[in-house]
Amino acid sequence: MENLEALMHGFGIAVSGNHIFLMLIGVLLGILVGVLPGLGAPNGVSLLLPLTFGMQPVSAIILLSSMYWGALFGGSVTSILFNIPGEPSSVATTFDGYPMARDGRPTTALATAFGSAAFGALAGVVLITLSASWVAQVALAFGPPEYFAVYFLAFASFVGMGGSPPVKTLVSLAIGFALAAVGIDTVSGSVRLTMGIDELVKGVSFVVAVMGLFGIGELLIAVEEEFHVKAISSKVEWREVFRTLAGLPRYGWALLRSAAIGCWMGITPGGPTAASFMSYGIAKRLSPRRANFGKGEPEGIIAPETADHAAGTSALLPMLSLGIPGSATAAVMMGGLMIWGLNPGPMLFVEQKDFVWGLIASMYLGNVVAVALVLLTVPIFAALMRVPFFIIAPVIVIICTVGAYSVSNSYLDVMLMMGFGVLGYLFKKLHYPLAPLVLAMVIGDKAEDAFRQSMLMSRGSLGIFFAKPLVATLILLGAALLLMPVIWRTIGRMMPRSQLKP
Amino acid sequence: MVSGRSLETATALVTAAFGAAVVVSSLDNGIGWSSAGVESGTFPFIVGLVILSGSVFNLWQGWLHAQAVILGPSELRRLGQLFVPAVVFVGIIPLIGMYPASALYVFGALAWQKRGALLLAALAAIGAALALYLIFEVTFQISLPRGVLGALLGF
Repeated sequence: MENLEALMHGFGIAVSGNHIFLMLIGVLLGILVGVLPGLGAPNGVSLLLPLTFGMQPVSAIILLSSMYWGALFGGSVTSILFNIPGEPSSVATTFDGYPMARDGRPTTALATAFGSAAFGALAGVVLITLSASWVAQVALAFGPPEYFAVYFLAFASFVGMGGSPPVKTLVSLAIGFALAAVGIDTVSGSVRLTMGIDELVKGVSFVVAVMGLFGIGELLIAVEEEFHVKAISSKVEWREVFRTLAGLPRYGWALLRSAAIGCWMGITPGGPTAASFMSYGIAKRLSPRRANFGKGEPEGIIAPETADHAAGTSALLPMLSLGIPGSATAAVMMGGLMIWGLNPGPMLFVEQKDFVWGLIASMYLGNVVAVALVLLTVPIFAALMRVPFFIIAPVIVIICTVGAYSVSNSYLDVMLMMGFGVLGYLFKKLHYPLAPLVLAMVIGDKAEDAFRQSMLMSRGSLGIFFAKPLVATLILLGAALLLMPVIWRTIGRMMPRSQLKP
Repeated sequence: MVSGRSLETATALVTAAFGAAVVVSSLDNGIGWSSAGVESGTFPFIVGLVILSGSVFNLWQGWLHAQAVILGPSELRRLGQLFVPAVVFVGIIPLIGMYPASALYVFGALAWQKRGALLLAALAAIGAALALYLIFEVTFQISLPRGVLGALLGF
């Protein structure tokens, strides 16, 4: 009950003229970056970040998180109407969303997607409301070894469950850690990894990396694939919207299952993209109508959309209560928290009650605002897709350049961003995941500090990670996840091929 | 034409070089255990080794499994059409400043694609620079680089 009381208090903070206005702006900007190829939620949030430095932290996080919700919805619009995923996490929505829209039912497809997305988001927020402060309470007793163990588990789950080639994931993670270490070492004060460039003493900002990796990199991918925009009617028929929404409960089991998958993948940093693919895959295997998948089956839209939004929302649970972001965008937001002078983690629930509960309350409102706004603006944003790519591309390059420059008024950052752009293109092309790199950049220093403090406590003995049952369990679990790809491969080799295929 | 194998190889070599640089650089900070605790080069050293060994593995895997051709001539041409102007744009910022560079970039892109529509391109270019100025300089008070040209003109 204590949580409900706190939530009501949060609503008192979130419901104000100023905050509702920020929500509207955030959601609209979010839909915009979600719709545009080359710009996504991580970029959008990083771009807005320097502009929030003068704001109250609550207002700033409401703006940024609303942008996140908007981007998640915007990505689905282009997936369904144009067969072009605006966001990586809405790729799975194209499988059934586009066929349904092409067969003359665009409104049904959109309404199914938004309805199940809203359900997924709701599941995520309810989970946060009920459990975040409890998790934080447990985490208050954590010392450096526990923290290191949790970080280790988070990174290991990327490698074990992220869905990308495990060694590529490992390399991506490690590059993120190395980049986080560039500059002044927080423990000893010595300068590290600047490679003789004095300006690098200030470190490499994750915002610069995000602009390059996700902005320029995705733009290069988009231009290479040269999509043909085949517009489907983007008129929204409101009666059909309500009929579809009223019919959604028939898919209750699929909704619940997808929400559970999404929440799990959001909390363990699998992220929305992995969640939506996994949910689609499982639905395709379990659904009684599995033969219709890929031809416009509603369940094929419900499964990825619910999981996508459930994961996107619940990614904020570990960010708030443990200081471990569950997705790339959550990592960027957490970087914002640190810049605003807040310390993400359990102490937030003690020291910054207004901030935490204001944010949680705003998540309920923000998602309602997002559903309404996205339905109202579908025709406008669909028209935006008809703007030729050769006009959009320079605009996005300029936005990313200015965004990278404005982090610390440095031209070096602009050059670094272009470098990250090429790296982002190569990584995307060759299936190296980008989210682990960004995550490691944001929390790399914290993970290292936790490790070094643990070592100080134990005078250099690694035994400290096996001394307490909780720490030992987490470390062993992490090790098991790291080894999972090897185990699967061995099992695959031992079993004859015919047995593996259902 | 670029084959999947050469792209995999190039990427693995880039990450390997980065890993090696991290390893070498972290040795300067000292690795291992000292009276003050874990020395500051230790963590980067381990991370560098992970990057290096992972890259070697990826190099080997890429060599074994890579698909034949993943970038044909038309893909390369489109990539170049986007990337080369972008690099030129970034390259001229220190010389002429952000506003003229953005205007030139937009003008160039439009004039190239829609030959003849020079007036439209010029309007779009001025519009882009003006929008940047209004959003960043006026609204959020972020000063964008003026370049050598700006310094000469006293802007």
